[in-house]
Amino acid sequence: MSTKSVVGIFEDEEKLIDALHKVKEKGIAIEEVYTPYPVFEVFEYVGKKSRIRTAAFFYGLFAAISILAFLYYTSVISWPINYGGKPFNSFPSFIIITLVLTIFSITVLSLFSFSIGAKLFPGQKAKVVDYRATDNMFVMVVEGKEGDNNEVTEILREAGALEIKEN
Amino acid sequence: MYKTEVRGALIDGDKDYKQISTDIIKPMEGRPPLWWYIALAIALIAASVGVWAIFVTVAVGIGTWGLNNSVAWGWEIINFVWWIGIGHAGTAFSIFLLILRQKWRTSINRAAEAMTVFAVICAAIFPALHMGRVWLAFYIIPYPNTRGPLWVNYNSPLFWDFAAISSYLLISASFWYLGMLPDFATIRDRTTNKLKKAIYGILAMGWNGSTHNWLRYESLAFVLGGIAAVLVVSVHSIVSTDFAVSVEPGWHATIFPPYFVVGAIFSGFAMVMTLMIIIRKLYKLGDYITDSHLTAIAKILTFISLIMGTAYLTEIFVAWYSGSNYEIHTLFKTRIFGPYAFQFWAMFICNALIPQLFWFKRIRKNIWWMFTISIFINIGMWYERFNIVVTSLAQDYLPSSWTTYNPTIVEIGVYVGTIGIFSLGVLLFFRYVPMIAISEVKSVLKVTKKTKTH
Repeated sequence: MSTKSVVGIFEDEEKLIDALHKVKEKGIAIEEVYTPYPVFEVFEYVGKKSRIRTAAFFYGLFAAISILAFLYYTSVISWPINYGGKPFNSFPSFIIITLVLTIFSITVLSLFSFSIGAKLFPGQKAKVVDYRATDNMFVMVVEGKEGDNNEVTEILREAGALEIKEN
Repeated sequence: MYKTEVRGALIDGDKDYKQISTDIIKPMEGRPPLWWYIALAIALIAASVGVWAIFVTVAVGIGTWGLNNSVAWGWEIINFVWWIGIGHAGTAFSIFLLILRQKWRTSINRAAEAMTVFAVICAAIFPALHMGRVWLAFYIIPYPNTRGPLWVNYNSPLFWDFAAISSYLLISASFWYLGMLPDFATIRDRTTNKLKKAIYGILAMGWNGSTHNWLRYESLAFVLGGIAAVLVVSVHSIVSTDFAVSVEPGWHATIFPPYFVVGAIFSGFAMVMTLMIIIRKLYKLGDYITDSHLTAIAKILTFISLIMGTAYLTEIFVAWYSGSNYEIHTLFKTRIFGPYAFQFWAMFICNALIPQLFWFKRIRKNIWWMFTISIFINIGMWYERFNIVVTSLAQDYLPSSWTTYNPTIVEIGVYVGTIGIFSLGVLLFFRYVPMIAISEVKSVLKVTKKTKTH
């Protein structure tokens, strides 16, 4: 007999969080939660982390160094031009370009990271558990047990789930 | 923290989540109203005038413009700076108010960001055309080439401008689109129309509202918000250096970067107010764009108007205090009491004085007054750019080179065209994209309700 996940549908943020708390207490794994808007408590219960912020810092570091190096190479080594007697390596004016293009690079690279990390790209089919999750319902998917799911179902019902189904 | 009992509710009426989606998606369903078609026709005509003017400019050359050796920058640069200024509101709204945790931004940021994207596109048309041979515009990108290799001049604010505006367009558009992903998914999941489901399904890119999605969404919004905040300030500072680094009376001033940034946010917020009033009135979205939203914008405008007035007075004072004949001539004999007195006073009255009417509660609460004042600010900001660009060039060091400048029909045509393109973009946005960020409004619903009951 294969295990089936239990899907609990709530109409309220508080009830959902209450249910998540109870399920977590019992040591049952929460597979995924679907909400119409971001709920920060849910992130903690699901226990996932995003590395985009850390990645963005390193993208920025990498971009800033490469851009400065590029500016130095083109204006000092490759083809130096005398602009009104200014030094070839006009560092203060390079700062502005470096700043702006670093922001450009961080944006592009973070967007790609987001697309890959969140698995969102054009042509991607949405895996929808319940169509109301993007509208007005809070949906949680809990790992089922072998045999029957009575225990989990009972917890969800107690927490005030509007509907409970197996997936 | 937003205190509903003090500042008024963010969402009027007793709404639930479903009602919010229904209300906001409603303008996208059914047939668009008659005024929408009329406005679309006018916008298309204006845009066609622009296409004609751009064609003439490209086919014949910028000799078709009214520029001359003394006034080498005219309407194109005025309009470029004007549009870029308007384009500052979206990101200012989303980013600064996001950082400051201002919950009232949620109903407004989507429209403000849309406006930003269209305004920046309009702005970019002008410097591209001003290059003269627009088909060689790619020369501004530093790439290995067979001409040396000849690299671009990194000391030039014009190149900084190019880099800053490209980045700004990219980041504003990405931020805007990121915010729309959950809303496109909402439309996809609600609609029964198969074609609509398919189109919005592609646009939503597989969004399903899972924690997996939201967590990364929040992280990316944090990253983009953080770096865009830097960009909002730096883009218009860079635009100001187009002027400030040249030794021209009236331009060569250290006040320029902050003065330009504040001016940009001023005109942008004014345009946001214009647009929000239109949306509120025509689409009856008064429950989401409440009086407290508009009052908040009015208060910000009053404050920025004071800064603008201070900046104008500082410029005048410093010109006098410097003792430089040229500065004094430009400020006093060309602008305040000279041939360009009308433009100067139009700028001063529209930007520094008229918005002060918002001190009166009756005016701050009256939608028609707000609409009129926001239009005045937009006109005033156009005159500010006229003042800066034309007056300094028309009469600078050599009296023998003094001249006047008048735009030709082609220049006016390009400007009308950009207004058409902007309106076209806004109208299509009204029709095909949720005008208010559905998911963000849902996230503040609880906040308003909670403070009400306790």
